[in-house]
Amino acid sequence: MTGFTRTRYTARAQRRNKIATIGFYTLGALVMLLIFWLLFTILSKGLPALRPDFLIKQPEEIDPGGGIGPVLFNSFYILFISLLISIPIGVGAGIYMAEYAPDNRFTGALRICVESLSSVPSIVFGMLGLAIFAEYFNIGLTILGGGVSLALLNLPMLARVTEEAVRAVPGDIREAGYALGMTKFHVIRKVVLPVAMSAIVTGICLVAGRAFGESAVIILTAGLSTSGEMWDFNLFSPGETLAVHLWYVQSEAIVEDARQIADKSAAVLVFVVLLINFIFRFPLWLGNRRKGR
Amino acid sequence: MGAPVQSLASKTPKRAAQMQSSVNEKRHRRHLLGNKLSRFYFLFSILALCFVLGLVVVFIGKTALLLFAHVSPAEFFLSFNWTPEEDAFGAAAFIVNTLSLTALTLLIAVPVSVGMAVLCAEIAPKWLKSFIRPVLDLLVGIPSIVYGYLGLTVLLPFLRRVSGEGLGDGLLAAALVLALMVLPTICRISDDAIIAVPRKYRDAAYALGSTRLQVIMRVVLPAAKRGIISAIILGMTRAVGETMAVVMVIGNTPQLAKTLFTPSSVLTSNIVMQISNVEFDSSWNYALHMMAFLLLLISFVLIFVIRVLGRKRGDA
Amino acid sequence: MKVFKKLTVTALTAVIAVTASFAGIAAAADSLKGKITVNGSTALLPLTLQAAKEFQKLHPKVKIAASGKGSVTGPQAVKKGIADIGACDWDASIDVPGFKAFDGQVANKVAVIPFATIVNKNVGVDNLTTEQLAGIFSGKITNWKDVGGSDANIVVITRSFGSGTRVNYQAKALGGGDIVKKEKNYKETGSSGDMKTAVATTPNSIGYIDLVYVTGSDIKAVKFNGVAATTDNVINGSYKIWAYGYYMTKGQPTGATKEFIEYVQSKKFQNGSLKKLKFIPIAAMKG
Repeated sequence: MTGFTRTRYTARAQRRNKIATIGFYTLGALVMLLIFWLLFTILSKGLPALRPDFLIKQPEEIDPGGGIGPVLFNSFYILFISLLISIPIGVGAGIYMAEYAPDNRFTGALRICVESLSSVPSIVFGMLGLAIFAEYFNIGLTILGGGVSLALLNLPMLARVTEEAVRAVPGDIREAGYALGMTKFHVIRKVVLPVAMSAIVTGICLVAGRAFGESAVIILTAGLSTSGEMWDFNLFSPGETLAVHLWYVQSEAIVEDARQIADKSAAVLVFVVLLINFIFRFPLWLGNRRKGR
Repeated sequence: MGAPVQSLASKTPKRAAQMQSSVNEKRHRRHLLGNKLSRFYFLFSILALCFVLGLVVVFIGKTALLLFAHVSPAEFFLSFNWTPEEDAFGAAAFIVNTLSLTALTLLIAVPVSVGMAVLCAEIAPKWLKSFIRPVLDLLVGIPSIVYGYLGLTVLLPFLRRVSGEGLGDGLLAAALVLALMVLPTICRISDDAIIAVPRKYRDAAYALGSTRLQVIMRVVLPAAKRGIISAIILGMTRAVGETMAVVMVIGNTPQLAKTLFTPSSVLTSNIVMQISNVEFDSSWNYALHMMAFLLLLISFVLIFVIRVLGRKRGDA
Repeated sequence: MKVFKKLTVTALTAVIAVTASFAGIAAAADSLKGKITVNGSTALLPLTLQAAKEFQKLHPKVKIAASGKGSVTGPQAVKKGIADIGACDWDASIDVPGFKAFDGQVANKVAVIPFATIVNKNVGVDNLTTEQLAGIFSGKITNWKDVGGSDANIVVITRSFGSGTRVNYQAKALGGGDIVKKEKNYKETGSSGDMKTAVATTPNSIGYIDLVYVTGSDIKAVKFNGVAATTDNVINGSYKIWAYGYYMTKGQPTGATKEFIEYVQSKKFQNGSLKKLKFIPIAAMKG
């Protein structure tokens, strides 16, 4: 950095820069190839054989040709319930940790606790849900139990992602707000959240995707059966989800076409997660475009 | 509030200034009330989170501690002999395996995912970014049983061919599957952290004549370190706690993984394999709960260590 | 602002919904008299799900929730009162190796489940005796050439301890012999599906599974003491590796639970759907 003359030092730096750029691109290309191969393997087995009626038919135990109607519905229903509970609390807790909590040892310890919580295997949350809903409230295996247990599983991750997003908002923007006499809440709502929103939504998408594919919790709390009706909004019905159904057909089902059903279900699962990402992010992307960012 | 919806940060101060100038006592009071209420709401959220935390710890801990009425802590932590049907509850092998699996996973996943994050945030042109990001997010959506199944049917035969082993199950197979699973988590969150580094830092470095590599290595990554460390931690906790995929490729044999291809078992896979097959009020069940509790402790310690290391390097 | 409003609204809705549903539990409990929860063995799950489907068509007011995680979960869930029926692959009202009897529970036979020894398609052996199997699974025999095959290491694939399939297989096929872990070429799997996939994809492997799952060309069932694993051989008594599947209940079943069990044991179901699922009717074994 000695000026504009090309020294041996800058020449070497530029060479390294070029090599690194090529390296990064190669890495990117390899990872992308791997992902596409993976997606191709999953989707190519499932999608070509997929017919619309597969998505609405009842699962079958004996005859081939069963569908995933009720389980697909339950998946969305349980995901919706769990997000309904976990987003307000998770985001609220994340904001508290980033904006309100005093920066002391206790907060630090709490943060680590929350992080460690996400390493508890999901089956433990399933057992917790089983203890709460089946034993304590004695309501058996229900959609409600599955949704709430799933929310418990999502909470820590959501809180941490929100906290990081809020913390990443540069301090000077905030100070500008305060300097104008805005209240703390006003600053959070009008200044911090809009800036952090993109990262928070990324976090929610990650969590929702994971929740959609979660099986261990649901097996224990919502069961492996459905009420046998489509559009059953009853919170106390048993609620097998698509991921659980996938586990079931892959592990225990006797039906002849279990393998095909598993392939198709996996393809649908991946497709739905793509859809969730799209639905959550599209408004955000539009908003950014309007603002000309 | 009748004001038009405007969420762009840079315009807010202007609007706030207008608001300030039109002295509106009512609105001001409402803001103060909102401020107070929101504080209560956020406090409520964090308390709810703490409650869940407490619930899990008490739920696991309560059952776990019953173990030490039957088995000595020394045996549980130091013995490598896990034969519960003959009353031998030594979990040392699982603990060591969990640590080595986590380390191996991070060793594979961190360079790749941080590299991808840098590519996304700093190097790639815009169209490529908006292509890579959603594709990476797709990986999150693949359920772990599908990863497990692909591991079992594609990865294991491949490893068998390469290594000449009869089985192929073991730490390496599990680490490869896990690395792929945590890749999007680490990558996307690091990506966000790198983007959040203020533009002016980069501009200043470029103005001094730095190459892009130098800007990335000496300015951007250090500035985004906090976020990247969080990303690694979140990825790591997922790796430590992941089960459904691991059980399919690790071999599930309670013994120390001496080589990368020894069929073995980690804390999570052992919990999942056995918890549905034990009686509620047996030492075996208590031991499995103790292992879940231990998992919490291990990740607590790991996170603590990573944080301390990160802070030290930041000061230097 | 929009986002925040949305957050507040969702939070409020959530709180209201949760309170409302908890308040509703007390009221709901009475009207849910016809709810049956079945838990336990995953091997019996296809049967339970099919029976539940048919039963709910006959009695639309009865709700059946089924789940499965492992055999011993069944009687345990019944003991704890979180399930009305506990599906189990062995008679949990008496002691079996590894598990104590569950007092006060009644075992209702619902099906006969045959098991088969399976090997990967590359294995040349097609008959194994009790001694040979016991030797393989205890780790004493490690090469296929010792039991009449080619020179290759045997890869043992087994279910984890406590699996109903394993309990029955050890008792019936290994003559009560142990399954011993090995440092290499040994693996435990968590479900029948995993077992099938593992054996199908691992050359030189041996495992065991419910006969129902023996389909496709990647795995094959080997003869046991010279007798082929077929339902006919189970019924005529020459093939010995089979067991009853049980529905455990707390005391004699009553109400909807009783009706449901009787439906599963009825001739119509036993000779219809149960046969189609390739289980063997319990009545067939009396002859």
